[in-house]
Amino acid sequence: MRLQHAILADMRFQIKHGFYLVYVIITIMYLIILSFLPENILSVALPLVVFSDPSVLGLFFIGGIILLEKGQGVLTVLVVTPLLSIEYILSKVISLAIVSVAAALAITWFSYFPSVNWVLLIVSTILTSGIFTLLGIMINAGCNTVNQYMLKTIPYMLLFILPCFALIGFPYSWLFTIIPSVAALKLMMGVYHGILWYEAAALAVYLVIINYILLRVAVRVFENKIVYQD
Amino acid sequence: MIQITLFRNDIKQILRDPVMAMLLVAPLLLISVFKILEVFLIPFVALKTGFDVMPYAPCIFSFILLMNSGMLGIVTGFMMLDERDGNIAQLLEITPMGRSGYLINRLSFASILSVLYCVVSFAVFGLVNLPFYSKMLLCFLSAIYTAIIGLLIFSGADDKVKGLTYAKGLNALVLFAFTDLFALSWLTFLSWFFPPYWITMMIKSPQSFFVNSLAFIIHVVWLGVLIFRYGRRES
Repeated sequence: MRLQHAILADMRFQIKHGFYLVYVIITIMYLIILSFLPENILSVALPLVVFSDPSVLGLFFIGGIILLEKGQGVLTVLVVTPLLSIEYILSKVISLAIVSVAAALAITWFSYFPSVNWVLLIVSTILTSGIFTLLGIMINAGCNTVNQYMLKTIPYMLLFILPCFALIGFPYSWLFTIIPSVAALKLMMGVYHGILWYEAAALAVYLVIINYILLRVAVRVFENKIVYQD
Repeated sequence: MIQITLFRNDIKQILRDPVMAMLLVAPLLLISVFKILEVFLIPFVALKTGFDVMPYAPCIFSFILLMNSGMLGIVTGFMMLDERDGNIAQLLEITPMGRSGYLINRLSFASILSVLYCVVSFAVFGLVNLPFYSKMLLCFLSAIYTAIIGLLIFSGADDKVKGLTYAKGLNALVLFAFTDLFALSWLTFLSWFFPPYWITMMIKSPQSFFVNSLAFIIHVVWLGVLIFRYGRRES
C-alpha cells in the first residue's frame, strides 16, 4: 500500500515536471525520422532508438530527482516515515519504467513495424529501465550538482554502451552478453527480429538477477552515501 | 573592469573544480568521437553498403556544431540553476555586477568557449568548405545558440528536474537542422522559426545573403525574447 502511494506520488511529480509531455515531443521527433527510413534500416534503427532513449531515460532523470529531493529535505524526512528505503527506490524505478514503457510502446506502435513481440517489448523495456535507474541512484552518491552527476555518468555510459557494438558480430563477441546492457540490447533486438523462447527466457532471467543485485547495492549506497552521507 | 575580474575568477574557479573543467572540455571529447567516426565509419559504410554520406555532409557538420554549442548551453544552464538553488545567484546579484551582469558573465563565458570549439571544429573536420566570413558568422551564431540554450534552461526551469526535462526536450530542437531531408512542407515551415534550421542552411548556401541575414535575425530574436522574458520574470 505504501509502495502504491509512493508510485502514484512519483507519477504525479513526473507529470507536473513535464516528463510525459517531453516524451510526447521526443516520440513525435523519432516517428518523423523513422518514417523516412526504408524497412531494412528501420529494423535496426527501431530497437536501437527504443533501447537508447526510452529505456535509458531513468539514468538521465534520477540524478536530478534525487538531488532535488535532497535539497528540499525530502530524504531527511524519509528517515522518520514508515516508507522504507527499498520502497522509495522501487517507487522511483517503477514510476520511471512506466514512462519508458509508454514511450517505447508509442514509438513502436506508430512505426507500424510488421512483426513485434509486444510482451517481450514491455519486459525488456522494464528490465533495461530498471538497470539504468538503479545505476543512476548509485552514481548519484557524492554528487551535489547536476553537472557533477552528468560527468560521473559518462564513464558508466561508455562502459555500458561501447560493448553493445559486439552485436555487430566478431569472433567470441557472444562473451560480451555477460554485460547487462548487451544482454538487454540482445533481448530488445529479439522483440523486432524474433528470438528463440529459451534464449529470451535466459536473457530475461539474467536481467532480473542483475536488477535484483543492483537494487540491493542501490539501497545500501542510498542509505549510506545519500541519506546519511556516511 | 568588474566583468574582467569576475571572468578571471570564474576561470580560476573552474580550474580548481575538476568537474567543471572536465565538463567544459567535454566538447573536445565529442569532436574527437565525431572525427573518429569521420575517419573510420564513413569509409566503412561506403565499403559495406555503397552508401555515400558526403551529400549529407552539411547536415552532419551542422549537427556537430549544434551538439557542441548545445552541450555548453546545457552545462551553463545547470550551473546557473545550481547557483540559484544555493542562493549564490542572489548573492552575486546584489554585488556591483548586478543581475544583468551576472547573466552576461555566465552566458558570455560559455559563448566564448562555444566560439573556440566552433573554430576547432572547422580546423578538424574536412566535411565542408566554407568562405571565411561564413565561418565567422557561424562562430558568432554558435555563441548565441549556446546563450539561447543556457537561458532556456535557466529561465524556463524552476528546479533541477524541470531543467533536465527542458534539456531532454531541447535535444529535439536539433531535428530542425535536418528538416530539408524529410521534404515535409509543414515541418520545413515550422523549422524556419528555429535556429538549428538556419545553421544547416548557412552551411548549404554560404553565399546567400538572404539565408545569412535570416539566420542572424532568428538567432538574435530568440536571444532578445529570452533575455526580455528573464528580466520580466525576475522583476
